[in-house]
Amino acid sequence: MQLEKFTYDNKIVRNFGIATIVWGVIGMTVGLLIAMQLFKPGMNMGSQYTTFGRIRPLHTNAVIFAFVGNAIFMGVYYSLQRLLKARMFSDALSSIHFWGWQLIILSAVITLPLGFTTSHEYAELEWPIDIAITLIWVVFGINMFGTIFKRRERHLYVAIWFYIATFVTIAVLHIVNSFELPVSFMKSYYWYAGVQDALVQWWYGHNAVAFFLTTPYLGMMYYFLPKMANRPVYSYKLSILHFWSLIFIYIWAGPHHLLYSSLPGWAQSLGIVFSIMLIAPSWGGMINGLLTLRGAWDKVREDVTLKFMVVALTCYGMATFEGPMLSIKQINGIAHFTDWIVAHVHVGALGWNGFLTFGVLYWLIPRIYKTGLYSKKLAGFHFWIGTLGILFYAVPMYWAGFTQGLMWKEFTPEGLLKYPNFLAVTLQIIPMHVFRAVGGGFYLLGAIVMTFNLAKTMLKGSLQANEAAEAMALAPVIVETNPMDKKWHRVLERKPMKFMVFSLIIILIGGMVEMMPTFTIQSNVPTISSVKPYTALELQGRDLYIREGCVNCHSQMVRPFRSETERYGEYSKAGEFVYDHPFLWGSKRTGPDLHREGGKYSHAWHFNHLLDPASMSPGSIMPPYPWLIEQKLDISTTPAKIRAMQTLGVPYPEGFDKTANDDLKKQAMEITADLKQNNIKVKSDREIVAIIAYLQRLGTDIKANKETIPSNQ
Amino acid sequence: MFEQLKNLAGREYYLISSLLLFMVFFIIVSIYLIKLNKKHISNMSQLPLND
Repeated sequence: MQLEKFTYDNKIVRNFGIATIVWGVIGMTVGLLIAMQLFKPGMNMGSQYTTFGRIRPLHTNAVIFAFVGNAIFMGVYYSLQRLLKARMFSDALSSIHFWGWQLIILSAVITLPLGFTTSHEYAELEWPIDIAITLIWVVFGINMFGTIFKRRERHLYVAIWFYIATFVTIAVLHIVNSFELPVSFMKSYYWYAGVQDALVQWWYGHNAVAFFLTTPYLGMMYYFLPKMANRPVYSYKLSILHFWSLIFIYIWAGPHHLLYSSLPGWAQSLGIVFSIMLIAPSWGGMINGLLTLRGAWDKVREDVTLKFMVVALTCYGMATFEGPMLSIKQINGIAHFTDWIVAHVHVGALGWNGFLTFGVLYWLIPRIYKTGLYSKKLAGFHFWIGTLGILFYAVPMYWAGFTQGLMWKEFTPEGLLKYPNFLAVTLQIIPMHVFRAVGGGFYLLGAIVMTFNLAKTMLKGSLQANEAAEAMALAPVIVETNPMDKKWHRVLERKPMKFMVFSLIIILIGGMVEMMPTFTIQSNVPTISSVKPYTALELQGRDLYIREGCVNCHSQMVRPFRSETERYGEYSKAGEFVYDHPFLWGSKRTGPDLHREGGKYSHAWHFNHLLDPASMSPGSIMPPYPWLIEQKLDISTTPAKIRAMQTLGVPYPEGFDKTANDDLKKQAMEITADLKQNNIKVKSDREIVAIIAYLQRLGTDIKANKETIPSNQ
Repeated sequence: MFEQLKNLAGREYYLISSLLLFMVFFIIVSIYLIKLNKKHISNMSQLPLND
């Protein structure tokens, strides 16, 4: 056997590290801006490109895919090379991966404020960008597996299993959740509609949390924590059990995002059971991490990287305990659509992802620059201001969430809603939103201090772009002397492709059991004869609703509670959404539910409300939408949109695409005539007319035709 | 809580078969773990520290 000399590529690690820091600060700044918009509507800045509905997805995409995404690649590229004793497979692929990913992020930064969105949460980017993501993800996969194939270490350490599972599952999730029919260059409709679309989206949304925000970070934890503490992981056996149970169970839990919705009951129950089971592997991982520090807690006092890791693991434990609790229907009934969920998400995002990233950055940057950290004091300050930031963020949001959940449901002794005006609840929680922004500000300040500290560290040292290393070449396995070597898992550990296929099968089982019945069994989504496709004008209005991101604040899902049917009207039925490509149920009620909005107010009310919400609802925090009155509705897209809908199975009559615009104009004239009677003069070709048409249609199909609702709905 | 797991309108076989599937999988992984070679485990857990 020969000792081989080679080098580790630190430059790519540095590049991803810098991208992590830069995008992190940008994403958090946008987060702070949208947090302030929720108590001071003036912060929307009067521009359509900076309103909440458009830049909230910018915040989520920036922190998930830019900040966390780059941090994953930084961690993977550093640890993979060292665990496999090999340089990355191809420097060119590393470079394509890096620049490709940054371009994708840049395209998100441009297109989301412009209103190009699919409206699927955490998958808002339109189809050309989806294709780019797929290609770059494949580049990452080839680079990772290429490195695995040319490794000098026979067995794959558990961190690499997590990386492989991440790669394969994100690929599956992204592809399945991106089945879109392009209508034009930056517009598409999802292949699925209504309930099925919701199920696919939340199977994706939940598992994006699992396999983008969790598994790669667990892999990083299993590598970096032992390095920082200078001792092996507490129990390697537990890490194996943790890995297989986690990837098996996680994939089933998606439906807990749709409890009490129109999703079939059995699918909801399946989601609940697996969500509760999820506590076990999640806590197994957390305990394994924390116990790795046994006998080394004295180090935690001095070493800031370990401090970040301990808080990260604690937050992981809290979030993964809370998640299953929120999946229990009784708790979910109160928490869903409230700020409680925002608090829950941010304990995970700020604590687990953010703090683990900071810990790794403080550990890794000085090492690849062959120097010490510029200031330990500043890093200590970052730790404390960041921790305070998490507390100031989470506590007011929990308070706000409980307040919302309880006030929405409160009845007077006479049996009437105690707070029939939705706005009363919104105004009640404004102080909590102010505190939340303070918490976010603290957290951002910490990140800025870190940026300064790490920049100074980089300037102090010099990057060791190619770090020399040596290891024995991998000898072929000729004779299996140890019978244990024949065990299936030992074999799997040596055969990365088989390992990947096995992981793939494990994650596909849950997804298939969950989704196939809803897609193949007709009775799971009963049709309602009075539910008809949208008119051409309503369809255009719906696309404006999507463009403006209304779904970020308004749900379209009345749950079967008396508190909701009393407030909004008849609860939502699965059969009402069969022509909704995409579904627009939403996940948060910053404003009221809109599923039964149709016919509730006059056209004039909607016109005035969109122009200046506070004029109709004093104290409203909804931003004004004056550009809807100024901008002309683009009706050149109508025929293509109708044809696309026909392809997707929406029963428009043959040749309707040619006459759709005549219909559209006629309906627009009717609305403007009605507005004129109320002394509102607006041209019938303006966008606001289409959005009013859509809002007035919402939920009206079954209002006057209750006898058409099937008995099992 | 358990009320949620009953009354599934005849669709409980989805739930029961899913749970059985997981039980079988979990038992296989557990058996494998119990039988695992201690030396191998110790070597594997040292991997991050040896680079």
